[in-house]
Amino acid sequence: MYELFFEKLAEKIALTPGQQDIIKRYLIPKKIRKNQYLLQEGDVARHAAFVEKGALRAYSVDEKGAEHIIQFAFEGWTISDMYSFMTGNPATYNIDALEDSELVLISTNAQEEILKQIPEYEAYIRLQVTGAYMAMQKRITSMLSLSLEERYINLIKLYPNLIQRVPQRMIASYMGLTPETLSRVRRKIKNK
Amino acid sequence: MRTRQTIAVIGATGSMGTAIAKSLSKGNYRLLLFTSDKSKLKDLQKEIIATTPGADVEPISCSYTASWEADVIIVAVPFAMEKEVADKIREVANQKIVISIANPLNETYDALVTAPDTSAAEELQKLLPNSKVVKAFNTTFAADFAQPVIDGKRVDAFIAGNDNDALETVSEIVQAAGFNPVIAGDLSVSRILENMQLLLIRLGIKYNYNWLAGWKILHQ
Repeated sequence: MYELFFEKLAEKIALTPGQQDIIKRYLIPKKIRKNQYLLQEGDVARHAAFVEKGALRAYSVDEKGAEHIIQFAFEGWTISDMYSFMTGNPATYNIDALEDSELVLISTNAQEEILKQIPEYEAYIRLQVTGAYMAMQKRITSMLSLSLEERYINLIKLYPNLIQRVPQRMIASYMGLTPETLSRVRRKIKNK
Repeated sequence: MRTRQTIAVIGATGSMGTAIAKSLSKGNYRLLLFTSDKSKLKDLQKEIIATTPGADVEPISCSYTASWEADVIIVAVPFAMEKEVADKIREVANQKIVISIANPLNETYDALVTAPDTSAAEELQKLLPNSKVVKAFNTTFAADFAQPVIDGKRVDAFIAGNDNDALETVSEIVQAAGFNPVIAGDLSVSRILENMQLLLIRLGIKYNYNWLAGWKILHQ
């Protein structure tokens, strides 16, 4: 049930079977179907969701009702409205499932409990937060200074199955482009 | 809360399960209905959709899958069946809110079968040690759900549990069902709540309340 979760954990920190059992006590196994919401804007994000199977996205909606995709999450990724999760303030993102998915949810309280009992978990969180920060820095830098072609190629490197699993209009939304501009970018790369 | 919560009702075709499902289908909930007698489930779904068009309600053939999808699990089965249900859902009910509605009555409805130092809710908590068991809907009769205002007063519905966030979530559910939620205390208060319903049942039989009765605390 938590195979991938503990696999990813083991990549970063060594845990005894006893410690794994303690962590298991605090995890919430949650199945969610395609198009269902995990979180809607305005609610507080009580959980961070690790994806065991499936795909989700986080997006915000602007005043005109247009969606802007902030993040995709596939197997092995974690997704939440981190601002809301950390501060307890209402979320500004919506998170929904792009496919039927199996998640492992960790609440803020559960995270505190695990941290109290397993000091090694602190290192895992630190590495995760650092990783997320670096990813965000990359995303901002690429938005500001790379060409559309370079950005698209980097995106495919980051999410190798993106094209198979996510509609073009969502990839365009993630890149901040119209679907038409995105197809021009893709044609350009193909013709090179 | 805007995000639609998924509630699994285990034992959905019993009188309480049906009343709870019908009532909550009007709220912002997605309901997964499970019972061992599957033939009745489709009828219940149809009946709910007939009264509440657009209700997000689905029969489901496995209590494990229903609980896996659920944010909140309502165990609407008699006390004697709680262990069987708990054994099936334990893994996927981890850290989830599990609502115990049972009153552990004897066959003649004049005493509880549980020892004085425990309750149906606390026994369920022992069976599901990593779940957040909350006592609710045990002091309300099935008929009250269709008529939560009796004699001009909104019926009180008592809630007991050990986790504050869980109590808050269940209060919202109780309110969505039309009752006035009253948080009574930690899970051990379930002993009192289960005895309160024993009293109401005995009085109902004695004075013929016709199963439409409830508790209301009068206060300033």
